[in-house]
Amino acid sequence: MHSEDSVANDHHHASDSTDVFGFWLYIMTDCILFGCLFTTFLVLHIQAMHGLVLKSYLNLYDVLIETFLLLLSNFTFCLAILNLYANKLFKVQAWLAITFLLGASFVGIEIREFIHLANEGFRWDVNSQASSFFTLVGTHGLHVSCGLLWILLMIIQLPLLKMTNVAKRRMTYLGLFWNFLDIVWIFVFTIVYLMGAM
Amino acid sequence: MHNHEINQPDFGTSQKKLGIYIVGFITCSILTLISFWTVMSGQFTKWEMFIIIYAAAFIQFFVQLLCFLRLNTQTKQGRTNVMSIIFTGVILTSIIIGSLWIMWNLHYNMM
Repeated sequence: MHSEDSVANDHHHASDSTDVFGFWLYIMTDCILFGCLFTTFLVLHIQAMHGLVLKSYLNLYDVLIETFLLLLSNFTFCLAILNLYANKLFKVQAWLAITFLLGASFVGIEIREFIHLANEGFRWDVNSQASSFFTLVGTHGLHVSCGLLWILLMIIQLPLLKMTNVAKRRMTYLGLFWNFLDIVWIFVFTIVYLMGAM
Repeated sequence: MHNHEINQPDFGTSQKKLGIYIVGFITCSILTLISFWTVMSGQFTKWEMFIIIYAAAFIQFFVQLLCFLRLNTQTKQGRTNVMSIIFTGVILTSIIIGSLWIMWNLHYNMM
């Protein structure tokens, strides 16, 4: 990692882009993690067609709202990035705060859905399909929660970092992470929810 | 301002433009609505739904890569990113297709 106190100036551009590439590689390994969880879900989904099935418990309207919350938060984060490059600190913080609220509502709806499913009897311990469902969607939700924490830290950090390259680099990491989560969500709603409801 | 931009480090994420983000957002919204409508309206056979939602998901995946992650081949950094995502794609394909293939055969033979 970086010696953070030797801020800005003689931070070479080459090392900046190497750092970002390192983060990109982390995202790629995370992709493989999600790929494995998706595969597990698909395999167990084919096998566990009897007994309790996800289909009867799903509410697609909630999922549609979740999808739009995440997509919108993605867009507002991009607006924050644009303002960062225009050197408008307050606007960056405001857009980040909106991104945080959208992401938090996403997690809120997801938790409510999990509680609802568990109350209806579709708990993680009833069959393999339920386990793989909660693992996959839960891992994504956990990632989003970590992203939310990160956004909060970023809002606090920004006034301290000012508009240096360090701030830009960290916002680039966060942006990659946040956009990546939305990309994973495309496959979650397609494979888990839409295919589950078919 | 222009001079300032030249001094930006290369993050491999290309230029930031509002227009591209808006186009990305609108395209993704439309594709999402198509997917949900296809399943919720119930007017299609299972295979039609299957094809439509997967096509929409893959198009949206590429739109997000291009518009939000700003994947590009214009800079050296961008090309390295593209190489690594292709590599990840190869690994993922072998994991997913391979597992499904094996498990499906197993399932078939056990019946």
